[in-house]
Order: sequence, then structure tokens, then C-alpha cells
Amino acid sequence: MGRPLGKPNNPEFQKKVIRTAFDLLEKSSGPVLDDFSEIIPVREGRMSYALPVSLVYKVNQLGNIDKLAERVQMELSNLLPDYFKALQNVGRTTVGASELEISDFVPYISEFAKGNKPKSPRKGLPAIPLLKLVVEDLNAVYTETRIYKDKIDDFEMLGKWFWEETHAGKLLLAVEAVSLESNDQVLRQIASMSLLTPRFWSEGPLPGISGSGWT
Amino acid sequence: MVLVRDMPAVGRGFIERLEPPDIKNFYWTKPSPKNSRKVAVISTAAVSKRGDRPFSWLARDHRVIGKNDRDLVMTHVAVEYDRTAWQLDFNTILPLDRLDEMAKDNEIGSVAEKHYTFMGAADPRDMEKSALEVSSEMKKEAVDTVFLVPV
Repeated sequence: MGRPLGKPNNPEFQKKVIRTAFDLLEKSSGPVLDDFSEIIPVREGRMSYALPVSLVYKVNQLGNIDKLAERVQMELSNLLPDYFKALQNVGRTTVGASELEISDFVPYISEFAKGNKPKSPRKGLPAIPLLKLVVEDLNAVYTETRIYKDKIDDFEMLGKWFWEETHAGKLLLAVEAVSLESNDQVLRQIASMSLLTPRFWSEGPLPGISGSGWT
Repeated sequence: MVLVRDMPAVGRGFIERLEPPDIKNFYWTKPSPKNSRKVAVISTAAVSKRGDRPFSWLARDHRVIGKNDRDLVMTHVAVEYDRTAWQLDFNTILPLDRLDEMAKDNEIGSVAEKHYTFMGAADPRDMEKSALEVSSEMKKEAVDTVFLVPV
């Protein structure tokens, strides 16, 4: 999940995957289903990071969102010099799907954490689909920075750091908490289906409505 | 890779309930020689060029990636798969550099000018119109080998 060619920055391994796939075409008949020879170990069957089941906030536990947003802005400001250094050296970034400026990420997300639904600043894209893209952009600024700065290729470590240890993670968990209790059906549903927060690779149960589609 | 039985409960429950498609009119085609193949990639990772319209959550349409496009973003609805590999190296999900190298080494004939991405969370049975458009474009380009890369 997210690594079909197996190993990032490992051209030989990636070409081995391609060659193995192409070799299937040489079979005299099909369809063919075959296992790749090498298994990349993961933790407890998880193919990506998942939040601890117990880490779910209720709205009445959230505290002052404006203060939390200030802490996130400060945290983000501290990361940005390394983010831009990474961009300059790596030559690409995955940040930008939302098309918002980085400085606008936290204010936009914070409005949802306060129970508001801001008007989408992006023409043709409603507020909630834009929220998802901004959440992923914010996450990507953090993880791209850590990947570059600390030379990490470990989705469990990066996920734990972002979601459990940063103020940004806490802000997004606040958005999840508010969304789960929202009167807006779309917002409630995407939170229940864990489309804002990573909960798919957990033992569950997931927070939110029981008709989530996963359970 | 993880066996379904070893997955945690939420993912296992979802994946175990997926029904495999019932494919009729199945053809097994003899491939052209490896070093003359023209290869295109189809990815389900909802990757697109920066500035393209984002994929909607159950998108049936596709986006086109040029063989030299590298400024790409992802708008896939699902968050259950790892994005850090894509951040580290886009070839982990869209191996255009690898295919280029294989073409230069004469392992394959050439790399197509156009590659295609879909939003893999949507039902592929609803994508027929888009699939026909893609296949038509591939025929125009004389693509004879497609590398399907799920995400």
C-alpha cells in the first residue's frame, strides 16, 4: 500500500519488480497470479501507520483552538527553513495539491476545528474536499522535512511523530473530533471513514458512526 | 506485502469482503519481443500534474502524465496507504525513470509519451468510458505493453 515498486530510491529493486511483472507475460497461458520472491517486513501486518485506537478526542477535551493553532503555526515556521532546503536539494515536493499557500494551511484547518465551515477559496472545489487536500499538504510539509533532515524512510516512525507528537497532529485530531459530531453529513462521514486521519491499519473499533463502510 | 490473514482487524475486514471481478471474454495475448515493446504505465494512485483538476472522491475519469512530467501531486481520497514512499521517490508508485533506464539499456523498446492515472478507490466497473479513451490514446501511440501499477 503506497509502495507497489517496493523500495524508494532503490532502482535495482524497482527494476526487479518490473522485470518480474514483465516475465509473467512470457507464460504460455493465463491469467497468472504469482507472488514476488521477496517480502519486505512490516510491523504487525500494517502496511501503513495507524493511530492508536485510544487516541480519539471528544470535543469537550479540545481546549482553546486558537492557542493550539498558534502553536502549530510556530511549529510549522520552525520547520519551513528545512522544508525549503529539502525542496531546493531534492528538486521536487508533493505539497501543493490544495493550491493554498503554506501560510494559509493552519488558518483554514483551524476553522473546521472551531466548528465552522469556511468558504472554499478555491474555485470549483467545495470546502470539505479542499480540507482533505490541505490536511494532506500540511502532513506532507512535516514529513518531507523530517525525511530530508533526518534521512528517515520509516512510515511508522514518521506517522507516530506527526500524529502523536506534533501540535499539527493534535489540530487534525481536533478536526476529526469536531467532524464526528458535526451536523454536516459529508464532514461526519469522511471522519467516520477515517479519510482525514489514518486509522485503517488498526484493530479498531473506529470512532464515529457504525455505518462507516470499513466495519 | 502482508497476507490478508495477518492484517489488523479493520483492514482485514474490509479487504476480505472485496469481491473479485468476474471477467468474461478473457484473452491471453502473445507479447511482442521484450526489446521492442513500447510501455505505458497506468497507476491507480490519483497522481496528476500540479495544476490539474484534483480527482473527486469517486472519480471515474483519468489524468494524463507526460513521460517527462515530474512535478506531480496526489489527490487520492484514501489515507490508508503510505505517502512517505511517494515523497521519497515518485518511482515507487510511478516508475518512469526506471522504464527510461530500461529503454536506454535496450531491455524494452521505448517508453510511451503518455501515461495514465486513475483514482483507485472508485469502482473500476464505472470507468469504462475513461478506459476506452485511454486505450484509444494508447493505440494511437502504438503502445503494446501496459504496466498496471496499483497503489
